[in-house]
Amino acid sequence: MAAQDSKRPTYATDAIPSDVKNGLFLGNAALDNVVSCVIAMGAELWSTKRRLLVMQAVMAKKGITSEMIEQYVPTEAEKADWESDRDRFVDLTLGPLADGGFRPVGSNFPKR
Amino acid sequence: MIGRRELFGAAAASVAIAKTLQGDIANAANEVAKASSRAQSADAMKKLAGMQSRGADGRLLRLGTLDLESQQDFTLGFRLMHSKQMRASSVAVFDRVLEAEGLDATTPLTVDQVRELIGKDPAINIASKTWLANQQVTWKTLAGHFHKNSDFYLTEMEAADKAGPGSLVLSPNMTIPEYTKHEIHIQPGGYVGDPFAGHIYHYGTNSFYISVIGHNEQDQVHKGTVARLPLPEDGKVKRILDVGCGVGQYTAALKERFPDAEVWGLDIGGPMVRYAHMRAARLGIGANFAQKLGEDTGFPDGHFDLVTSYIMHHELPADMTRKVIDEARRVTRMGGVYYPVDFNSGGDKSPARQMYQRWWDHRWNNEVWSLEYHTMNFTDEIAKRGFTQVKNAKPALPGFGVRHFVRTA
Repeated sequence: MAAQDSKRPTYATDAIPSDVKNGLFLGNAALDNVVSCVIAMGAELWSTKRRLLVMQAVMAKKGITSEMIEQYVPTEAEKADWESDRDRFVDLTLGPLADGGFRPVGSNFPKR
Repeated sequence: MIGRRELFGAAAASVAIAKTLQGDIANAANEVAKASSRAQSADAMKKLAGMQSRGADGRLLRLGTLDLESQQDFTLGFRLMHSKQMRASSVAVFDRVLEAEGLDATTPLTVDQVRELIGKDPAINIASKTWLANQQVTWKTLAGHFHKNSDFYLTEMEAADKAGPGSLVLSPNMTIPEYTKHEIHIQPGGYVGDPFAGHIYHYGTNSFYISVIGHNEQDQVHKGTVARLPLPEDGKVKRILDVGCGVGQYTAALKERFPDAEVWGLDIGGPMVRYAHMRAARLGIGANFAQKLGEDTGFPDGHFDLVTSYIMHHELPADMTRKVIDEARRVTRMGGVYYPVDFNSGGDKSPARQMYQRWWDHRWNNEVWSLEYHTMNFTDEIAKRGFTQVKNAKPALPGFGVRHFVRTA
């Protein structure tokens, strides 16, 4: 993180990472990963639903109908933007499936 | 009624705004740098912040996007549910394990005994796993936004670094001690390792408060704590020190209660004090911030009338806590008040459920030093070091340790 914006002064230094991703809580790493995915999916789903609620409220004030939404054809730029957002969505919600926890929950800190 | 053409028109306007934003940001940043009064500075800061944010809700700038705001809203909602249902679910399993072992929930246990017990049934840990997963989403979404828009947020901080009314002292060449580099609360980069540590911490911890103490989006908890802080017997409060100030909510509240005092907030995290100073400047609050260590503040002997800290000591190794107390004694004037706000502490055994929570928070929420803190008797450590405890004092933060001390030696 510290080096990411290194062209400008950030007053950040390298941190000592936590090993939370190595934790094995539920007896099976795959199960742990699925739980992570479910939580992240919940965040994305609620984010989407809340946006729809906002849009409904705004559109109602402006007279936009559901039919106008159904008929909308995205531009090429919009398609590209949405694909990028889809990839971020997949990384957030399903990326944790690739985590590989192995350290038992009762284990002490590893030696550094 | 708006037709499709108008929708396209709105989209085109958005693109045009995006193209000119860089120039506008630079102009707004220059206005911050040129401001010659507290009011001008605060106005310029608000204008600059407004170019990226979605307005403010009182003291709190709304997050940069609706999606990010909604993701944080979800993680808050999950925390609220978790504090009731998920925790209860884990406790029920833990109690069954205790029963099978011939123990009850009030049995005093050591950490090692708890560690052994929680491995006996993985179902105990569903609360831990879900809580951590939720915490990771909180940090990942916030960090993603601030890094994606790093040009703007760095520009904003660079402009604010020079703004008043309070001052900012950064120490880019200082050696950052290893003990401060841990990712407390599993926040990526911790307090020292991410340029946007302050931004991320501030918004991430709002949900901590709501699910544990109460709403703090308007600094209500910090203001309430400051309002209850005791004064020196002679009533004189000209200089105040806040050690380990983080994002400066407590420091700002101190300056607001004591507007004529010189107020300093210190933190080792450069990004933390930058954010603290920027936020205070935007609010027109003249608190000063410096990147310094609590055990080596650099202030003269007896400089402060009131020395305090806010939930900082449990983030320190025990030997550093003792050094910070020694330094607090050195910079507090005779008769001055020392009141560090932090958890109750003392003892290496606690009832089973309590010790389970303490162990889990230490180990997996990466509260690296909290076990040392909880094992040590923090109040006694202060009393051993030239301070006299005021009897029958009231808590500055209800539920936390009562540590009203006066320097007497």
